[in-house]
Amino acid sequence: MGQDLGSLADEDVMQLVRRGDARAFEVIYERHSPAAFSLAYRMMGTRSGAEDVTQEAFLSMWRSGARFDRARGSVRTWVLGIVHHRAIDALRRATVHDRRRAGDEGIEERFEARERTDVEAARREEAGTVRHALDSLPSDQCQVIELAYFGGFTHTEIADMLDAPVGTVKGRMRLGLKKMRAQLGEGQVAI
Amino acid sequence: MTVDHERWVDYAGAYVLGAMPPDEREQFEIHLATCTICSEEVDELRPAAEALPMASPPMVPPRGLKDRIMVEVEREAQLLAQAGPSADRPEPAPPRRRRSWSLGGWRLAPVAAALLIAGVLAGTALDGTDTRRIDADVDAPGASAQLEVSGEKATLVAENLPAPPEGRVYEVWVQPNGPDDTPPEPTNVLFLPRGDGSAEAAIPGSVSDMQQVLVTDEPPAGSDAPTGEVILKATTS
Repeated sequence: MGQDLGSLADEDVMQLVRRGDARAFEVIYERHSPAAFSLAYRMMGTRSGAEDVTQEAFLSMWRSGARFDRARGSVRTWVLGIVHHRAIDALRRATVHDRRRAGDEGIEERFEARERTDVEAARREEAGTVRHALDSLPSDQCQVIELAYFGGFTHTEIADMLDAPVGTVKGRMRLGLKKMRAQLGEGQVAI
Repeated sequence: MTVDHERWVDYAGAYVLGAMPPDEREQFEIHLATCTICSEEVDELRPAAEALPMASPPMVPPRGLKDRIMVEVEREAQLLAQAGPSADRPEPAPPRRRRSWSLGGWRLAPVAAALLIAGVLAGTALDGTDTRRIDADVDAPGASAQLEVSGEKATLVAENLPAPPEGRVYEVWVQPNGPDDTPPEPTNVLFLPRGDGSAEAAIPGSVSDMQQVLVTDEPPAGSDAPTGEVILKATTS
């Protein structure tokens, strides 16, 4: 097509993906698969589980590219949202007992990103900001947010696990996110 | 503040974290459509939830993952191009439903990379000397199909076959020998009829090993288990 896809913004590349352009989709994959795989690994806790979720998510994006709406957020947000939903589906298909998270095991399976381009360096800085915002929360708020978002547990499951009232769990989620939002500040972390 | 709102106080955090069961989430979304308090709170909390993936330790996806994904993507892109401008972008596969002819236990096998478009497949020419033709049952008005069997090889030849529903292709399935309820197995043969409704598809495997050949409409990448209607069925034994 004679077009330098690499120089196009995500949203413009998505226009080509909508028309069934496989090369354009490859660009989206190259740009966002590290974050997608990292999230999938964090949630699934195993390399094979992360690969399955990432593959399902990207094929789903390819087949539903027309559903991307730039008014509702960035391509990155869209990609990570789909990965998150796919991982939650996979986790909820498993029994609670089977659920494992990278924080609990599998450290030896990590394949840390080696290349440190400027873009990656900026991302790492942003990641550090997010981790700091999360770690700064009171532990009970951080715990319920991590169990919900990365563990794929529902608020009632978390309440059962912690032997806490459901209302308390929901309140901790809401308060924790509010604090995170305030700490991250509007526009400081571009996802 | 409405009674309905009071019911949903504190749910915004659970909602943006994806921590609500599906039925409850749907009800909350109905409420969100009319409650400015909750929708503003969701808008406020969402950026924090959307930043959470960045707290994951950075990983490099395995190289083979990209290869597997792009094989599928390129195959589907090729199929779309073959289908022409009238073809829409591929729709996501609908929820898989059990066929009325109960095929519990369909063996899960990946649909292989081969893609056969009507008219481009090789090996459809038959010399006619040892060829037997088996009429197929076709569930489409005016359409007909035969299984042309030569030795152990079979080719499906159809006339006036309607195009599959938009965004779908036809997939060939083979039911191996055994009891009548032996589940058919997916093949790597996907096809679209030509504009005049004609189509040929080489059936993989040996005819003596199979009792039926079936065709259903499926998503562009094919399926491991049937999701569409059976349009064609030929009994070989």
